[in-house]
Amino acid sequence: MDPDLLVGALTAGSLYALVAMGFNILYRPTNVFNFAQGDLVMLGAMVGATVITVLGLPWFVGAGLAMLAVAALALLEEKVAVAPVLNRSATGHGWVITTLAVSMILANLVGLGWGPDPIAVKPPWPLSTETFELLGANVSSYQIAVVVVTVALVLGVEAFYATRAGKAVLAVAEDRDAALLRGINPNRLSSWSFFLGGGIAALTGVLAAPVLYASTGLGPSLLLKGFAAAAVGGIGNNRGALIAGYVIGLAEAIAATVLSPGYQLAATFAVMLAILLVRPHGLFGRAEARTV
Amino acid sequence: MSEAALLEVGGLDAGYGPVGVLRGVDLSVAAGTIVALVGSNGAGKSTLLRTVSGLLRPSAGTIAFAGEAIAGARPHRIIDLGLLHVAEGRRLFRRQDVHSNLELGLYGTRLDRGEEKRRYDFVYDLFPMLAERPAALAGILSGGQQQMLAIAQALMRQPRLVMLDEPSLGLAPIVVDQVMAVLQRLRAGGTTILLVEQMVEQALDIADRAYVMQNGTMIGSGTPAEIRAGDLIRRAYLGAVSDRPVP
Repeated sequence: MDPDLLVGALTAGSLYALVAMGFNILYRPTNVFNFAQGDLVMLGAMVGATVITVLGLPWFVGAGLAMLAVAALALLEEKVAVAPVLNRSATGHGWVITTLAVSMILANLVGLGWGPDPIAVKPPWPLSTETFELLGANVSSYQIAVVVVTVALVLGVEAFYATRAGKAVLAVAEDRDAALLRGINPNRLSSWSFFLGGGIAALTGVLAAPVLYASTGLGPSLLLKGFAAAAVGGIGNNRGALIAGYVIGLAEAIAATVLSPGYQLAATFAVMLAILLVRPHGLFGRAEARTV
Repeated sequence: MSEAALLEVGGLDAGYGPVGVLRGVDLSVAAGTIVALVGSNGAGKSTLLRTVSGLLRPSAGTIAFAGEAIAGARPHRIIDLGLLHVAEGRRLFRRQDVHSNLELGLYGTRLDRGEEKRRYDFVYDLFPMLAERPAALAGILSGGQQQMLAIAQALMRQPRLVMLDEPSLGLAPIVVDQVMAVLQRLRAGGTTILLVEQMVEQALDIADRAYVMQNGTMIGSGTPAEIRAGDLIRRAYLGAVSDRPVP
């Protein structure tokens, strides 16, 4: 196999894993699958690209502003579209419609505000998308950074779930009433999780921009592949999502060379279906986990 | 009514949506005692505990704990006052280990390390089998161990009053005896206990006072001796066949 392909697969797979982790962070305390997650990523990319490329401010300012803005928006989504539905029935499925509505509203508003042209974003200094040869493959320093940042983020988020607050989030996921009886406030943890998940989504978008360009089309494609990574890794499992992201990235790359680039999305879902057929709860999922 | 009532429930109505379950329920739990609450399935015992702990809002009536009105308060506020509820069916966090379950019992508290360690030592001393496997997932423990862990989790906050909903459910007789022995030990240490039980005899054996519920109302109360002598239990479990006293 072409080593360049492997590099591309690892870079793309990292981004899919990050989208999947955003899903998981929101899913854990609420059992809600946020259909607007792809649009949050896209919005993060657009805000970041505008601040960095159009306004010419430093990369870190753009990333920070994008994360803050999208985190606040995700919090608003939780208050308006998720909490009222869950308060009516914690096990109902009204959120399918409400988060889908948020997705459509966001996609249309961003389309109005920015227009269809993609924006190119340069990586932060000293990183570059210029490739050099490493172990027989053409690699850029930015690609290495994306993979390293992704792995560090997944480990960091998982470390959070080992703290008392993180354990409380997992407790809410398992039994909301039992958590209430131990003094845990599920609504507060949901809000914080949406805030954090929104921030991660924006960072994913900003990280994706130098590789994929920032455009309104980013949302739907990352939503689907991120969903596939979350499902293959086991919903709620971030380490699983990391591995699954790379599996899907590889499947895409192989399909693109062996068949044709047009089969990339088909390959993603073929791999997802094959894995879910054998392991219905994903590679690392638990049998009790609820699937969507 | 006892002058030293820690928990005082008066004229309580509660239920699920438009469906009323509790009608005019009165209950008084004196500090430092074990009070048993018995009655058949569907009598409203669990609904009463869920209302007292804030999971359900009452539609009428009062609940006072340690002199504070708590009817309709949020669960975490009620817990902070020292009123803990061990729900029916061993509601643990089964995908987390024993130690994490105990740690979650401390959620929202701000204690120094020394005090936290004393709390762990206390429950591990009370339930030595938990000390043997702190890293075991709660979901793989036996039913008896899970019940002990559920009680231990509530005890991490050093509650003034613990409400236990059918701790003996599905447990072997010898394990039921162990649970009852622990409850007596807790009372000796000053913890007040409200015990909902289907195993009426075992509950009456350790209780200072008992209440009998039927169809969402209290049909009587008394000391265990009075309850045993009367026909409240027979009426509660078999229905009111006759109002005449038993010959």
